[in-house]
Amino acid sequence: MITGQHITKTFRQRGSVLAGREVKALRGVDFAIPKGGAASFIGESGCGKTTLGRIIAGLESHDSGEIIIDGTPMSSLRPRQREPYFRRIQLIHQDPYSALNPTRTVHQTLDAPLSLRAGQTGRSRSWVDGRARELLELVGLDPGYVLPRYPHQLSGGMRQRVVIARALTVDPEMLVADEAVSMIDVSLRLGILALLKDLRESLGVSVLFITHDVATARYIGDDGELYVIYRGQVVERGHVETIISDPVHPYTQSLLSAIPVLHGLERPGEQRVTPAGALDESRHDAGCLFARRCPFSTGRCESEQPVLGHGGDTPQEHACFHPTPRDVVAMPIGRS
Amino acid sequence: MFVPAEKVSMTLGERLSAAVGVRGDRSVEAARNTGAAEGTRDARRSGPPGVRIRDLSVVYRTAAGELPAVSGIDLDLPPGTITGVVGESGSGKSTLALSLLNAVQPPGRIRSGSVEIDGLGDVTRLRGENLRKARGRHIGYVFQAAQNSLNPLKTVGKQLLDLGRSHEIRDLRGLVRDAKDLLGRMGMDGARVLDSHQHELSGGMRQRVGIMFALVLNAHLVVLDEPTTALDMITQATILRIVREVHEERGLTTFIITHDLGVVAEIADRLAIMYGGRVVEQGPTTEVLGAPRHPYTQGLIRAIPRLVGDLGEARALPGRPPTLGTVPSRGCVFRERCDLRMDVCETEEPPAVPYGEWIVACHAVAARDAETREEKE
Repeated sequence: MITGQHITKTFRQRGSVLAGREVKALRGVDFAIPKGGAASFIGESGCGKTTLGRIIAGLESHDSGEIIIDGTPMSSLRPRQREPYFRRIQLIHQDPYSALNPTRTVHQTLDAPLSLRAGQTGRSRSWVDGRARELLELVGLDPGYVLPRYPHQLSGGMRQRVVIARALTVDPEMLVADEAVSMIDVSLRLGILALLKDLRESLGVSVLFITHDVATARYIGDDGELYVIYRGQVVERGHVETIISDPVHPYTQSLLSAIPVLHGLERPGEQRVTPAGALDESRHDAGCLFARRCPFSTGRCESEQPVLGHGGDTPQEHACFHPTPRDVVAMPIGRS
Repeated sequence: MFVPAEKVSMTLGERLSAAVGVRGDRSVEAARNTGAAEGTRDARRSGPPGVRIRDLSVVYRTAAGELPAVSGIDLDLPPGTITGVVGESGSGKSTLALSLLNAVQPPGRIRSGSVEIDGLGDVTRLRGENLRKARGRHIGYVFQAAQNSLNPLKTVGKQLLDLGRSHEIRDLRGLVRDAKDLLGRMGMDGARVLDSHQHELSGGMRQRVGIMFALVLNAHLVVLDEPTTALDMITQATILRIVREVHEERGLTTFIITHDLGVVAEIADRLAIMYGGRVVEQGPTTEVLGAPRHPYTQGLIRAIPRLVGDLGEARALPGRPPTLGTVPSRGCVFRERCDLRMDVCETEEPPAVPYGEWIVACHAVAARDAETREEKE
């Protein structure tokens, strides 16, 4: 179980042009990812979702707030003591082309962490080879084919599977997949998503999925939780199917409306929401952070800041003064 | 050119920098508005040009000999329409787009076929200065990763002036005015953008700057290679809306290359599906998406994660797309991943069979069609 309490992070820009400008990447985010569970962080570029993923994986520091792993608050530990905790959280990032060392075969890539582990636990050489094959089979690759090959000899989908196999060498409790399918060929994406779902079921690994494409979040498990993040703040949070079928925050509705409609196969939702302008971090907003772009904002939205909660008795939490379900999702045209 | 680490895997077409641009003398400006044009070459250019690609083959020289990236493609871009080409990596879609400018770089070359553009003739036969001028007058191009292809050391305005000078435009003020208009049209503050360096612009803004560069010299044929890759959903929707609006307002013929069926579904009038260097299916977008005939198109649509419906219904296609080296030299290129595979698929390449405006290259589809026709008779 990994929880975060009120995580904040501000980036201060350096250099002659932008010196002193501050970007609030995270403005007090709470989250909880149960063991074997699934959660997805959704939002557009620059919303802070990747920063949060990196903080959770121990690759980035945060300014305030607390990360608690299995009941142990990380702030109580010295950096060296935190290492074993964060080792159990493995990051899989977007680009499988740069994540693997091009001069190493898959065998070498998997051998190094496994040998280290074998050394620590007093296991034999043969365990290392066996485990490498086992992991490759687990991620759906043929060990005989893949082991002697270099990354450039594999397709994007295969490379991403190798990256996942490598992450599994340390028996992680959680995989943080940051846009893990966005650079994979379309026909192969579902395969990677299905793999993440299988790993949850077979190994009890929890999966944190970070993406701008809400639709892919469904495929790592329909029991998952969705966190919609806007400018470093969670604006809607709840069960993935609930939020997709009945989104109440206009920002979530904008994200869902932006998904291309397969005309001929689907009809667009009748109340698609288009936000005004683009995300602009340089602006200071006293009220709701989305108010300036929101087509439904009122005077209250501009002066007062909404807090995440179940206002209006919605099943999901949201940070909106006027939660209103809207028909924004494209529906399949009934087969006649 | 500035290439960020995450783009190291870019291919040939993607590495070409910024928008190649696109129109000749500014004196055409006035002429354009009256519908007249300069010189004999432009005489017929009163509206959006049509494009006819015939039997186009492009090969790349490798250690294993010349391998085809594009094989025998027939494709029409009717004047004034948006045509989308969808394909996965290695399908030959970027090579096809480059062929429209006769810009396939060695070790690649156009082996055979023609690309006829109204008012230009067959661009595959143009060379040297003629080719540069032809590109200069007719074809706007937004390269893949255009958001990373601006010069990081110069403001957008300086790059615009460079573009103008390289096309011998005398009225640079007019060019700047046009650029500001276009940027304003796309929802940006033109003056501010022209004064900005690329690092001061977001990905979506850079993409719009790329589109501005492609259009500012008044091209009427615009080629967009992956215009929304690496952009998030909201920015993508904005860019697509802008492309559609600018297309209609300026009377363009637009050609979009993408790996994302959704992009094409959202804005294209016609779509062509590419696989292994062939167009396997083409036709009016809504009809093809509503009832795809080619097994690859069907598989591709089934593989798209959707917001509603049964999770089990969406399925990845088994196998993987072929690369230059693994495309079968004979028979159907898709047979390895196909459910409907027959004996004939091993040996004979399926011919493109037209069903009205809809063209499908599949033995199984043709056989089924013949059966139903027999039954009717």
